[in-house]
Amino acid sequence: MAAIKYVNLYFKLVSAGIRAQMQYRFAFIMRIIGLITAYTGTAVTMWVMLYQFQVLGSWNFFEMLFLYAVAILSWGFCVILFLHFRSLDTYILNGTFDRFLVRPINPFFHFMAMKFDMASFGQFIFSLIIFIWVSLELHIEWSSGKVLFLLASIIGGILIQGGMLVLISAIAFWTTKSQQFYWVVMYPARNLTNYPLVIYPKIVQWIAAFVVPFGFVNYFPAAVILEKGTPFFPESIGYFSPLVGLVFFIIAYCVWMLGLSRYKSTGS
Amino acid sequence: MPIIEVANVRKDFMIAKRETGMMGALKSLIKREYIKKEAVKDISFSINEGEIVGYIGPNGAGKSTTIKMLTGILVPSSGDVLVNGIVPYENRQENAKSIGVVFGQRSQLWWDLPTIESFELLKEIYQVSNQRYKKNMDTFTDILGLDEFLNTPVRQLSLGQRMRADIAASLLHDPPILFLDEPTIGLDVVAKEKMRTFIKEINHERKITVILTTHDMEDIEKLCERMILIDHGMKVYDGEIAMIKERFGKIRTLIVDLEESPRSIQLLGGEVCKEEGNRYWIKFNRDEVSASELIAQITKTHSVKDLTVEEPAIESIISRIYQEGYQPLKA
Amino acid sequence: MPRFHVYWIFTKKAFLRSAVYRFDVWSRLGSNLIFLLMWGSIWTALYAGREEAGGISFQAMLTYIIVSQFLTGVNGAGTPLWEIQEKVRTGDIALELMRPFNIPLRYLFADFGSVAFYIVTALLPIYAMLFIFMDFTLPADVFTWVSFIAAAFIGFLIRYCIEMSFGLLSFFLVETGGIEDIFYFAMSLLSGSVIPLWFFPEWLAKVAAYLPFQGIYYIPNAIFIGEIAGGEILLSIGLQIFWLIICYFLLRLVWNRASHKVVVQGG
Repeated sequence: MAAIKYVNLYFKLVSAGIRAQMQYRFAFIMRIIGLITAYTGTAVTMWVMLYQFQVLGSWNFFEMLFLYAVAILSWGFCVILFLHFRSLDTYILNGTFDRFLVRPINPFFHFMAMKFDMASFGQFIFSLIIFIWVSLELHIEWSSGKVLFLLASIIGGILIQGGMLVLISAIAFWTTKSQQFYWVVMYPARNLTNYPLVIYPKIVQWIAAFVVPFGFVNYFPAAVILEKGTPFFPESIGYFSPLVGLVFFIIAYCVWMLGLSRYKSTGS
Repeated sequence: MPIIEVANVRKDFMIAKRETGMMGALKSLIKREYIKKEAVKDISFSINEGEIVGYIGPNGAGKSTTIKMLTGILVPSSGDVLVNGIVPYENRQENAKSIGVVFGQRSQLWWDLPTIESFELLKEIYQVSNQRYKKNMDTFTDILGLDEFLNTPVRQLSLGQRMRADIAASLLHDPPILFLDEPTIGLDVVAKEKMRTFIKEINHERKITVILTTHDMEDIEKLCERMILIDHGMKVYDGEIAMIKERFGKIRTLIVDLEESPRSIQLLGGEVCKEEGNRYWIKFNRDEVSASELIAQITKTHSVKDLTVEEPAIESIISRIYQEGYQPLKA
Repeated sequence: MPRFHVYWIFTKKAFLRSAVYRFDVWSRLGSNLIFLLMWGSIWTALYAGREEAGGISFQAMLTYIIVSQFLTGVNGAGTPLWEIQEKVRTGDIALELMRPFNIPLRYLFADFGSVAFYIVTALLPIYAMLFIFMDFTLPADVFTWVSFIAAAFIGFLIRYCIEMSFGLLSFFLVETGGIEDIFYFAMSLLSGSVIPLWFFPEWLAKVAAYLPFQGIYYIPNAIFIGEIAGGEILLSIGLQIFWLIICYFLLRLVWNRASHKVVVQGG
C-alpha cells in the first residue's frame, strides 16, 4: 500500500480512537487531573528535597525543574502515540491480537494506530507552563536556534522512549509479558532520568548514554541549553539526540517485527 | 476445484511444567521445565470452492490451531497449507484479502463506537471501493437487518446483533473464504436460526466457501454436508454427514410404554438398556432385526400403549467416535 | 471472633501462588533495587561529601533510605491497588460476599502469604548482603530491633487499611485516577519514605505530623537509625496504633457502604 494511503488510514483510525475515548468523558478528565497531580507531586518532592540542600550535583531547583519538564514534554507525546504498546501482553493473552493479523495491513502500524491517548495533552500543557516559568526564572534567551534544537531533541526523546515501549512490548512475543517489563525497566528508568545523570555511578551514566539511551531524552539536551557541564561525556553529546532516537526506534521496530514472526511460530 | 489444501500439517508447542508443593514452588523460581505438546499432528484435507465444512472436535483438539494456520496467524511446524493459491504464513497480508474471519467470542468491531463506524474503518483498511461498499452494505442491511442498530455503539448491542454485525464486517471485502469460529455461541434459538439461514444464503448466492467450527451439532446438521472431525490433533473423520449417520445410525432404540410392567422382557435381537416405570428402551441393530419384527414380538406378549423408534443424533454419534475411535470402513 | 484457621489457608495459598509467578518476584526486586540506587545516589549527591547535615550523619541517612526501600518492598508485595479495583469492576469481590468470611481480612491474610514469600526469597537475602558488605548503622539493642519490627508491622497494617479503602472506592467511582495519584503522592512524600520529615520545611512537617502516612515509613525508619529512641519509641508506636484504629474504622466504613451497595443494588 502506498505511504499516502497509510497516512490517510492512520488519521482515520486515530480519529476513531479519539472518539472512542471521548465516550468516557469523566474518565478522561479524571485522567488529566491524575497526570497533572502525579507530575506536580514529583516537582514538589524535588522542591522539598532541595529546601535544605539547595543543589543536587550542582543542579539547583529550577534547573532540575527544567530537566524534568524536557522529560515529560517528550514523554507526553510518547504516551499519546505509544503507551498502549506496553499492554500488548493482554492483547496476546486474551486473543485480541489475532485481529491485527487477519487484516491486510502492517500489524505494527495497525496496533500503533489503534489508540491515541488525548488525555496526555494534559501533560503537554503542564510541561509547557513549567517551561515558561523556568525560562523566566533562569533568564534563558530563546534564540531560534535554541528553539529548533529543543524541538529536535524532543522528537529524539519521543523516538527513544517510544522505541523503548516498542522494545518492551516486543518482549511479550517471547514471554507473553510486557506490562511487567514496563514497570520493571521503563518506569524506574524514567524516574532515574528525572534527576541529573551526573549524580549516579559511572556505570549507570554509561548505560543511560549507550545502552538504554535515556540520557539523550533530557539530561544531555538540557545540559546544552542550560550550558551546564556533562562530566565524563563530551560537551556536544546533547546534539545527537535526534540521531540516537532515530537509530534506536528503527532497531526497536526491527526487534518487534522479529518478535512477531516468532509469535507466528509459537502462538501464545 | 480445491480452494483450501492442507497436507501433512503439524504444529508443536512448548509448554511450561507446573511444580507442586512448597519446595516445588521455591524450585520453579530458579528453573522451569518444558514439555512438548503436539497440538496438531499430521492433518491433511482439501476443501472445494463453495463447500460448507464443519470443522469440529473437543476443546484442545487442535481446531483453533488449524484455523490460525489457515488464516496466517501461525506458521506450521511442518507440512503445506495453500489457501486460494496463497501460502498464508508467507503472504499473510495477501491472504487476509481473500478471507473473512469471525471469532464468535471476540468482536473485531470498535467497541465504543457506533456500529456503522466500524464498517467505515474496515472499508478503509481493506480498501473497498465506494461502489462495492454501498452495494454490500445494502445487501447485508437487507438480509441481516443491520439498520436497526447501525448507530448504536457496539458495546450496547445484543449478542445476536453483534454477531450479525461481525459477520457483515468480515464480508465487506467480498472474500471467497469465510472462517466462522463458534458463530452461534451464546445466541438464543431464534437468533441461531437467523444466523444459520444467513450463512446458508451467502454460501449459496455468493459461492463463499465456509469453514465452521462449533460445539453446536445443530449448526453442523443444518448447515454442512461435510464435516472434518479431529481429536488429539488427528483427523478422525472426514466425509459426508449422511454417511456417518448411515454407518453409526445402525444401532437404534425402540422406546415402548407398556400397560403393566412385566418381570422381564425377552426379545430376539433386542436388548433392554434402560427402564423407567412402564417405559422401556430397547437397543437393536437394524441389520439384524427390523423394527417391525421387534414390535411384533413385543405385542405378542405385552399390551403396548405407545412406541417410538429413535435414530441417534449426530451428537451422540460423535461422542461415540471420540470414545471408541473411528475405524474407517474397508472398501 | 473470626476463625483464624480459615484465613491461614489464604496465607498458605498466596505463598504457594507467588512461586508460580516467579517473574513477578524477580521484576519487583529489580525495580526495588533500581529505586534504591536512585535514592542512594540522590542522598549521596545531596550530602556532597559532608559527614553530616541537619544533625543527621551521612551514614545514618543512607541507612534510613535502605530500610525505607526494604519496607517499600514489603508494602508493595501484597495485592496491588489495581487488582482490587479490577476485582471490584469485574464483580469478583461482590461474589465473595456470599462466602463466610470477612473480605478485607481475607485479603490481608493472603497478603501475608505473598509478602512472606517475597521477603524470604528476595528481599531478605539481598538486603542482608547489603548490611553485611557495607558499613551501615544497625540497632545495637534488642529493644530497638523489637520496636522496629513492631512499628514496621503496624505501618504495614496502616498502609493496608488506607490502600484497601482506596481500592474499594471503585464501588462508588468509575474512574479514580486523580484521587489515586494524590494517594500515591502522599504515600511517597508525606510518609517520609524518600525524604525524612526532619528535612521538610517546617509547615510541611507539621502537615505530615497530623496525617497517618508517617506511620508507614518514617516512624519505623527513624526507630531503626536511632533518631527516635528511648521513651519516644513508645510514644511513636502509640501514635501509630492511634492511626491504625482510625484507618481501620475508615476501612470498615467504606466496606460496609460498599457491601451495602452490592446487596441493595447488585453492585
